[in-house]
Formats: sequence, C-alpha cells, structure tokens
Amino acid sequence: MAQVSLHNVFKMYGTVRAVDDVSFTVEDGEFVALVGPSGCGKTTTLNLIAGLIPISGGDIYIGDRLVNDLDPKDRDIAMVFQNYALYPNKSVFKNLAFPLQMRKLAKADIEAKVREAARLLDITALLDRKPRELSGGQQQRVALGRALVRDPRAFLMDEPLSNLDAKLRVQMRSELKRFHQDLNATVIYVTHDQLEAVTMADKMAVMNGGVLQQYAAPAEVFGNPVNTFVASFVGSPAMSLVPLEVQTRGTQTVLISPDGWEIALSDANARKARKATSPKVVLGARHSTISLHKSPEPGAVPSRVYTVEPTGDITFVQVHLAGAIVVISLDPQFPVRPDEQVWLSFDQSKLHLFDGETEQALSPD
Amino acid sequence: MTGMTAPRRKTRKPIDGWRWAGRIFLFFLLLFTLVPMIWMVLTSVKSQFAAMQYPPQWWPAEPTLANYRKLLDPTNPVGHDFLIYFWNSLYVSVATTILGVAVAVPAAYAFSRFRFPGRTFLFFAVLLRNMFPAVVFLMPLFLLMRWMGLVGSHYSLILTYLTFGLPLSIWLLKGFYDNIPIQLEQAARIDGATRFQAFILIVLPLSTPGIIATAIFSFIGAWNEYVYAATFINNKERLTLPVGIQRFFSEYATDWPGLMAATFLMSVPVVVLFLVLQKYFVRALTEGAVKS
Repeated sequence: MAQVSLHNVFKMYGTVRAVDDVSFTVEDGEFVALVGPSGCGKTTTLNLIAGLIPISGGDIYIGDRLVNDLDPKDRDIAMVFQNYALYPNKSVFKNLAFPLQMRKLAKADIEAKVREAARLLDITALLDRKPRELSGGQQQRVALGRALVRDPRAFLMDEPLSNLDAKLRVQMRSELKRFHQDLNATVIYVTHDQLEAVTMADKMAVMNGGVLQQYAAPAEVFGNPVNTFVASFVGSPAMSLVPLEVQTRGTQTVLISPDGWEIALSDANARKARKATSPKVVLGARHSTISLHKSPEPGAVPSRVYTVEPTGDITFVQVHLAGAIVVISLDPQFPVRPDEQVWLSFDQSKLHLFDGETEQALSPD
Repeated sequence: MTGMTAPRRKTRKPIDGWRWAGRIFLFFLLLFTLVPMIWMVLTSVKSQFAAMQYPPQWWPAEPTLANYRKLLDPTNPVGHDFLIYFWNSLYVSVATTILGVAVAVPAAYAFSRFRFPGRTFLFFAVLLRNMFPAVVFLMPLFLLMRWMGLVGSHYSLILTYLTFGLPLSIWLLKGFYDNIPIQLEQAARIDGATRFQAFILIVLPLSTPGIIATAIFSFIGAWNEYVYAATFINNKERLTLPVGIQRFFSEYATDWPGLMAATFLMSVPVVVLFLVLQKYFVRALTEGAVKS
C-alpha cells in the first residue's frame, strides 16, 4: 500500500474547471472519502488519480512516483465501479483472474490468489457463475474481489454501494470498513452520501463546484465546518443556517433579525461576529444544540412550528425563523403541534457563525 | 373472482377482433412470400415437359433431381458455368464481408468512444450514400473503375459493395458499442490492459452479435446485387450468380426446371446463414432500441 497525494490538480473541460486546484494527501493505510453533491468533481478527481482521464495541471503522486503521464495499467491501483463493471462474458473466476493474467502471473499463482480472494469474500461457491447470474450484493463482492486479488498500491472506489438496497448497503458498509482495517489498505472512496463518509472514513474531503472545501477527520468536519456549504452538507439533518445582522451596542454585541427580535452573544461569539466583513452574519446551529420552549424565556426568540416529523426515538421539529427553517430534535413525548407559537434558545458554546458575504466560518482570533 | 373476469371479457372483445385481422393479414403475407418459393422448388424437380404443361401440374408427377445433378456436375457445360458463377459470387461476397467487418468495427468503435473534430459531420456523411438510389452512382462509379483499371475484375464489385454496405454496418455496430458500458474498458485498463487490449479482450467479444449481423448484411447485399455486376463485369468467366442466372434465362429460355434449380441453389447459402445466425441477427436489430 502507498500514500497518494495530489498537488494543485486541475481538470478543465473547455473553460469549465471540473477540478479546481485540488490538493490533499492520503496517508498510507488511510480511508479517505471524497464527498459532495453530484457534479462537484469528486468522480472526476478519482478518474484523474486512476489515469482514466488526463489531468490539465498539477501533480499526482502514488507512493513516491509521479504518475501524471502513466497509463492506468502502470499506476498499480485497483478500482471498484458504481456499476461494478464485471466482464459479462467471463465467469467469476475469470473476472478475478483477469488482472493477474494481464500481469502475466503463472497459472498456479493465479489459481491460488483467486481462491484466496474468493475465500476472503465468501464467494467461492460462485466462481463458475457468470455475473448476470449473481445478485447485486454478490456482484458487489466479485467487484471487490477483482480489486483486492492483486495487492495494489491503493484502492479507488466510485460509489460502490449506491446500487444496493438500503439493508445490504448498511451491511456492506461495515464489511468494507472491516476489510480496510484487516488489509490496512489505502482507500479513496467517492460517495454523495455524507453518512457513508462519516461512518467509514478516517478523513473526508468535501468538494463543491470542483473546489476542495475541507479536508479533515469526519468529527472535525462535523464539529467545525469551514463554511456554510460544508455546514449544510455534512450531518443529517443538516445544520440550520439563519441569516441575521450583527450590531454592537456599547459592550454588548447582538444579532438582529428582520422580525424584530435579537440574540445577545457571549464574549467568544461576539469576538467572532466582529470579524465579519459586513454586518451580515449567518448563525448556524445543529438540531441538538437548540432548545424549544412553550412559553417565553429570557434569551429565547419567538418562532412558529412548521412541521413535526416523528422518526421513532427522536422527533424532528421544523420551525420558521427569520425566513429560514430551523430543525430541532425533541423527545417524542414532548407535546408540540404545527402552527404552535414556540420560543427557541441556542447553546452559545456550540453556536457557529459564518460571514454573510464570504460564507466562511468566523473564528474568535 | 367472477366479479373480476366479467368486465375483463368485455374489454378483450375488440382486441380479439384486431388480433384476428392481424392473423389474417399475416397469413396472406406468408402466402405471398412462400408461394413463389414453393413453386420454385416444385418446378425445379419437374421434367422439362411437365413444367410446360397447361393447366399446370400442381404436384410433380415424376419428381426428378436431374436438374440439380446437371448444375452440380463440372463436366457438364451448364454445370461448369454455374459452378464458376457460384464460386465468383462466393469470392466477391466473402471478400466484401471480411473487408467490411474489418473496416466497420474500428470505425464504429471510434465513432462511439472518441470525441474528435468533425465527428458528427463524418458520422452523417457516411449515411449520405444511402440517401440516393444505387443506380445514381452507376455511371460515376463505372468511370472511376475504368480510370483505376478495375472494370471487369472482381475488385470493382468488392469496392462498390463496400461503399454500399459500410454505412449501415457502421451505424449498426456503433449502436452496439454505445451499449457497452465504458466502465468495462476502464476496469480492464486499470486491471493492466492497454487500451487496445481492452478493446480486443473485453469489447470485441461482447460485440460478436453485432459483428455477425453486419457480416450477414454485407454478405446478402453482395450476394444478391445485380445492376453493378451486370455493368462492371464483361468477362463470362468472372460473372457472379445473379447475372449468370440471367444469362441462363436468355440462353436456355425454355429450360424452366433448370433455371428454378439454379435459383434454388443460389438461395441456399443465404438461407443457411440466416438459420444458423438468426438469433444474433434479431438481437442486433433491436439492440439500442430500448435503453436497458
């Protein structure tokens, strides 16, 4: 296994920057998830690493080798595709054997390695079948088997679980994670599902519009999103973002809503808010850090319930606040109805503030 | 259950009427197609005298294979000519087919996979030939062949048939390649294959049905062609079957059974080809029609 690093990588289609100055390093044995909405450039980035499309600028290293101009076959990587891309006219055995045959291994070696991979993935009984005779989950395993049969320097995975049904997806998710731990493999994993990224990855690279937004461990991305995009993309339900205006009155800094109410900020948050390039500030809060009251409380702001969504052990309540929708999680026993007048208070220590103009997170120093 | 079947019967009635109309139509169509062929076979096993009888002998009273024996006997002058024509046709058709596939496969793959300047223009340009009736090109092509010194040789026919067959072959095969997911090639290239190996080892085997279909198209086109063969070939030794049989018709005008036997033998290779490869053929024609 090897380290994979990207340095100022670009991919242009005409004048469109599909991948725009992306740099990050995947350490040896690390599981990195590339996440973002569709069209954000994550699959393009993966294809650039694989060498399936030529890069327009920058450098890509696999191990200590510069691979910019190498063919995919010479990069010594393995890839699992979203549609599995199993060779339909070959049996499972021959699918697994193909990468080894291409590397001109001896017949006995091929046989041994294929059997070993099949045993690892529990597909020995399927070796004589054709791909079309397999279920989706089995095809997925064969695709994985073809990747790990030859001990590559890195695994690239392009939404490998998105074609499975929900139950199987959860099961394969934990198997993939286990497989990564057992093999100590370098994995670069593309997904649009932030939950997959958060649960499986050591680090996640959040992309939007071809630009890498944040590259950090999932807990860090979740806890300290660098801008409003990351804040709204990671976490389910998403962080609630409320556009407000900051005002300083003597020693006190407050956020003012067009509806007339205001929130007094703590010292730390006031320092953050004063860093904003304009009076416009976006307040961000996760559902669990907001309290809902049925009567006015000091520091709580008035709002109205929009919908109530029971999910079993938690009920999500959406309320209107300053033109935005704010999501709050409540105990299912808490009595609340749509259109009811309620009051919200925010946990100041877990509040996020973003610059209303640049959309970047504001820091106190 | 009874409550469900009653209204269903009602709605099915008009459909049955249409179905019967369809069956009757198909029956007449079948009759229209089969009767000449049956008559051809029946006539070919009649004696010369029986074939000329009026009212016609519907069923040959004394069936004979003499006509076939004559045609397939190289020592007989008629059989000698027939076998030469047959061989010429086979040579021209097989050469057309092999060359056609050899050109159409890479061309179709390129149209399907590569983005190059003029791609759309070229793709429609290959169809341009098929927008005109074949006869329009008879004189220009004849002049061209004479300029190249190919008149009278089989190459003139092979070249001509290629220009007729290739556009359709390329279109048909491109549809096939469009339907093969590009990820298969990408997977092969990551698994250690060059782009060319990925094509040969993965894509080509998957497009076999398309290749077979294009081969059949090319073969039948070349095998049946008359106008160009009659114009370009002036040497009796190099005639192809359609023209050769027409010569029979004028030289042995009264030998109907012999003519019918020759026609029947001419249809044998095409029918055999169809029977053996029809399952590929049908698949190829419907491929790409519906997104899978």
